[in-house]
Parts: sequence; C-alpha cells; structure tokens
Amino acid sequence: MEASSASVVAKASESRGASGRKLLTRVAILATLAAALAAPQLTTNQFYLHIANLALLNAIFTMSLGLIAAVGQLSLGHAAFAAAGAYISALGALQLKIPPIFGIAIAGLAMGVVAAVLGTILLRLRGVYFVLVTFLAGQVCTLIALNWESVTRGANGLVGIPPISIFGYALSSRLQFYYFALAAFVAVFAFIWALMRSQYGRAFRSIAENMQLAESSGIDTSRYQVVAFALGSGIAGAGGAAMAHYIRYISPDTFTFHESIAYITMLVVGGRQALLGAVLGAAFLTPLPEALRGFVSVQHIIYGAILLGVLLFLPGGLYSIGKLFTALMTRSEKRK
Amino acid sequence: MDYPTLLVQAAVNGLVIGTMYMMMAVGFTLVFGIMRVVNFAHGEFYMLGAFAAFFTYAQWELPFVVCLLIAAVTIGVLGALLERAIIQPFRSDELSGMIATLGLSVIIQNAAIVMWGPTPRSMPNVIDGVLTIGPFTFPLSRLLVIVAAALIFAAFWVFMQRTRTGRAMRAVAQDAETALIQGIRVNTIYPIAFGISVALAALAGVLMAPIFSVSPFVGLTPMLKAFVVVILGGLGSVPGAVVGGLLLGLIESFTATALGSLVADILQLLLVILILLVRPWGLLGQKEA
Repeated sequence: MEASSASVVAKASESRGASGRKLLTRVAILATLAAALAAPQLTTNQFYLHIANLALLNAIFTMSLGLIAAVGQLSLGHAAFAAAGAYISALGALQLKIPPIFGIAIAGLAMGVVAAVLGTILLRLRGVYFVLVTFLAGQVCTLIALNWESVTRGANGLVGIPPISIFGYALSSRLQFYYFALAAFVAVFAFIWALMRSQYGRAFRSIAENMQLAESSGIDTSRYQVVAFALGSGIAGAGGAAMAHYIRYISPDTFTFHESIAYITMLVVGGRQALLGAVLGAAFLTPLPEALRGFVSVQHIIYGAILLGVLLFLPGGLYSIGKLFTALMTRSEKRK
Repeated sequence: MDYPTLLVQAAVNGLVIGTMYMMMAVGFTLVFGIMRVVNFAHGEFYMLGAFAAFFTYAQWELPFVVCLLIAAVTIGVLGALLERAIIQPFRSDELSGMIATLGLSVIIQNAAIVMWGPTPRSMPNVIDGVLTIGPFTFPLSRLLVIVAAALIFAAFWVFMQRTRTGRAMRAVAQDAETALIQGIRVNTIYPIAFGISVALAALAGVLMAPIFSVSPFVGLTPMLKAFVVVILGGLGSVPGAVVGGLLLGLIESFTATALGSLVADILQLLLVILILLVRPWGLLGQKEA
C-alpha cells in the first residue's frame, strides 16, 4: 500500500514536470512559427528570402532522408527521386497543362509508388550494399535524364516551368513561395514527427537498432523498411517538384549525386538521431555557401571539412549541442 | 574496315580499359576486404595519379618509370596518412566510415579544382608508333598500358603472397581478431593496405592519363566502374576484381562498338543492380554468414 502510494506520488510529480516541459515545448513551437511567419515582413531583401526558401526545401529533403535512415538504411539516390519528381511535375505542367499543385501531389505519389516497388526488391540488401545499389540507381537516372532528349531535352533541361498557383492565384514571387514552402515544411515535419511517435516509429527504431531481434519479436522488418523508403522517397519527389516550380527550370544538373551527398551532409551535421537535427543541418548549411559566393570549390571544401569534423568530433551533430545544453541546465536546476 | 580488324581492335581497347578497371577494382576491393570500408574517394586518388603524371611526365619530362614510382609513393603515403587520421576512428561503424570517405572525396576533388583549375589538359603519348602483326596493327601506347598494368599487378600479387606484410594483410582480411591474437599489428596493417590500395588507383591514373584527358573530374567514371567490377566479382575478392575488371572492359568495348557507349553504360548498371539482388556476394565472392 505504502509502496504504491509512493509510486503514485512519484508519478504525479513526474507528470507535473512532464506537463511543464510540454507547455514549454508548445510555447517554443508557437514562438518559432510566429517568428517564421513574421520574418519575411521585416526584410525586403529578395536574396535572403531565396535562401530561406532553399533552406525550407532542403529541410524537407533532409527530413525525408532521415526518415529512410530511421530504419538504418542510407540512400545515396535521394536526389534522383527529387529529380524524377521534378521532371514529372514539370512535364505535366508544360505538356498536359496539369496545375502545378496537382503535379506536386502526383510526383509525390508516383515516387512513393516507384520507391515501394523498388524497395521491395532493393531493401533485401542492407548496409553498404544498399548504399551502392542506390548510388548506381541514381547514376542510371542521371544518364536517362541526359539522354532521353525527346522528353527531357537532355542537358539543356526544361525551361519556362509555370509557378505554383492556388485557385488561380500564382505564387510567382519569392515571398509568396516562402509561405507555401513554410506550410509544406510544417506539414512534413508534423507528419514525420507523428509517424515516429506511432507504432511505426517504434518499429523503425527497433529495426535500425537490431534487425534480427526486431524480426524475432514479430516485427515485419521488410514491410516497415519499404514503408519508410516509400514515404521518404515520395516526400523527396514532391519536394523536387516544388523546387522545379520555384526555380522554374530543371536540368540533369539540378539534382545529382552531389545533391544526394549534400542531404547526407545536412543530416549528419544536424544530427541523425532526431527530426530536429535534419532541420538544424539544412538551416545551418544552406546559407553557409552564400558567404563564399563565387568560390564554388571553396564552398564544397568547407562542406566536406564540416562533414568530417562533425563525424569525428560531434557524432550526434548540432542537435547534440542543444541536448548537452539542456542536460547542463537541468543538472544545475537539480543542484538548487 | 573489315570485320576481323574491328573485332581485334575492340579486343585491344577492351583490354586497355579492362586493365584500368582491374587496377581500380583490386585496390577498392582490398580495402573493403580488409577494413570493411567502402571508399567513395577511390576515384579521386586515380585523379591525383593522372595529375602526378601530367606534372612529372609532361612538364618536368622525367622518365616514365620514375613518374610511376613518384605517383605510387607520394599518393600511397598520402593515402596511409588519411586512413590513420580520418578513416580509422570509424572502425566499428561502417556507415559513418563511408560517409567520411564521401566527405574526403568532395574535399580532394575541389582542392584539385582550386589548385589546378577545371579545364581538361591533354598529355603526350609515352611511346609513338605501331606494332604490325600480319594484317593487324596495334598502337604501342596501348600495348604499353597493358604490359605495365600486368607488371604492376604481378608485383602486387607477389607482395601479397610472398611477403610478411602481404600475408598479414590476408590474415586480417580473413579474421581481424584472430590475426591480432597471432601478433599481427592490425592498426599498422590498415594504413598500409589503404596506402597500397590508393597507390594502385594512382598508377591506373598515370597509365591512363595520356589516353584520356587530365582534369579534376576524371575520377568519377573509374570509381563507378570499380563499384561495378567489385559487385560483379564480389566485394572483398581480389581474383573476382581481376576477372571482373578484364571482363567488364571487354564487354564494354564490344557492346559500345555494337550499340553505342550510352546504351552500354545504362545496360551495364542495370545488369549490376540485378546481380546485386540475385547474388549480392558476387560471381566469384564468398557468401557472407
């Protein structure tokens, strides 16, 4: 009796702490959202807006890559899905006059289905074998985009892609696209966040942790891996399509092997363990090269160096700095 | 041109490319077999070898053998140092180690662009002239590549089979822990193996530099082919890399003559993806437990 009442008290105080933290998290989320909504009103600098748009899109690519990484698989063909999605939506808009907003949805669905089909075959491989096969598949896509000239116009790419329009209202300015990208970002973030807290997220983590153990606990590992791969690649396809309607141009150079590496870099630098890590990585690495405009190679060197530095000295990524900070804070609080 | 001549020329060209693929793939597979690291920077060491050839042979006009030696030693040592500094910390984590080599490849390639510029440069042939046997003529420059690659590979093979270090490497590839118990210093074997691996890539770069052009971007294709070859032959299998490399060179040469190089490339990649799915341990490799 006594023991149980003690545990009830402990639970009550624990839940009080938890609810306090929950409130704090909610306030932080609302404040961030409000800041994100208000920020573009404070500046008329088109260039900053452009960077913000790219950062939001990159965050979507990186979060979706992180979703695949959540089952312990690394895709080196992530940009290929973005490219294919971009081409589908762009060609749909240019040749069949499909409204871009539907084109984006179609691109996402199509890439999700393609990834589900490919995934049932490819995900039998694990570790480096899966990485190699996604790398090679990505190369095949680039070669096809370059050489199927009657459809993709080869290296020249597709020009004059229409902007996204909602109920006849075209999002042609950077500011208008910013709100669209922000909404898309919030939707993807909320979706993956909810997914990772569901039964799916738990299954993903257990597969990443120990495949054999997960399988012997009755988790259908191949099904969950296919789900993660299809969702992640589908989001990448939709993101690629959104990018095509934003920059209004797509060529085989828009999404290459180097972009796949860039998403991996953002994921690793931000932190692989948490959804917020992907966002931090994109937010940190997207504006960085702009400080070195005109020196593309130097940018790449710095990217590579940051990647190596984080891998070697901060394996948890930028996210773990925040974690470290909160750990220090709670420790000092407890001491009081 | 008549039929037999075309076939013989396709065969010689196939052998030239095949020996290059072989040298790339042997080094790549060696590192994977011993260290379980997929080296995405392998092609960049080929590129460094090509630049080493350009500077030592075309600019300083040193004898070609000396150029080969300089490239192998400097790039091999660089590779060993990089292994010690960047790859060794990820011994227990295959995926992070691979991401580290991705970062390394980005840095090396772009450093080359900064230092030497992106424009391709061409290099003179090492020997001119042709060898005529009956109705067939062979350019000596191509034959030189085949002969030099064969000699280099023979030296590598003798090293692996006959020397203490070579035997130690094979022991580590079989079972690192047991090798450690036998008194093999695993932590010195790793940098040596990596150094030898990238030295082979650099030598391939030197040999191919007069045939292809020299630029910071030349590493990607040989690396892609090395992937293809080691998947064909089995990741970690040196004999598989030799057979796979020569075979791929010949197949490529014949299909490119018949179908055009682009279709050949796409077909090749699809074939490899298929093999990965049906026989992930490769045609000659061992199935992993």
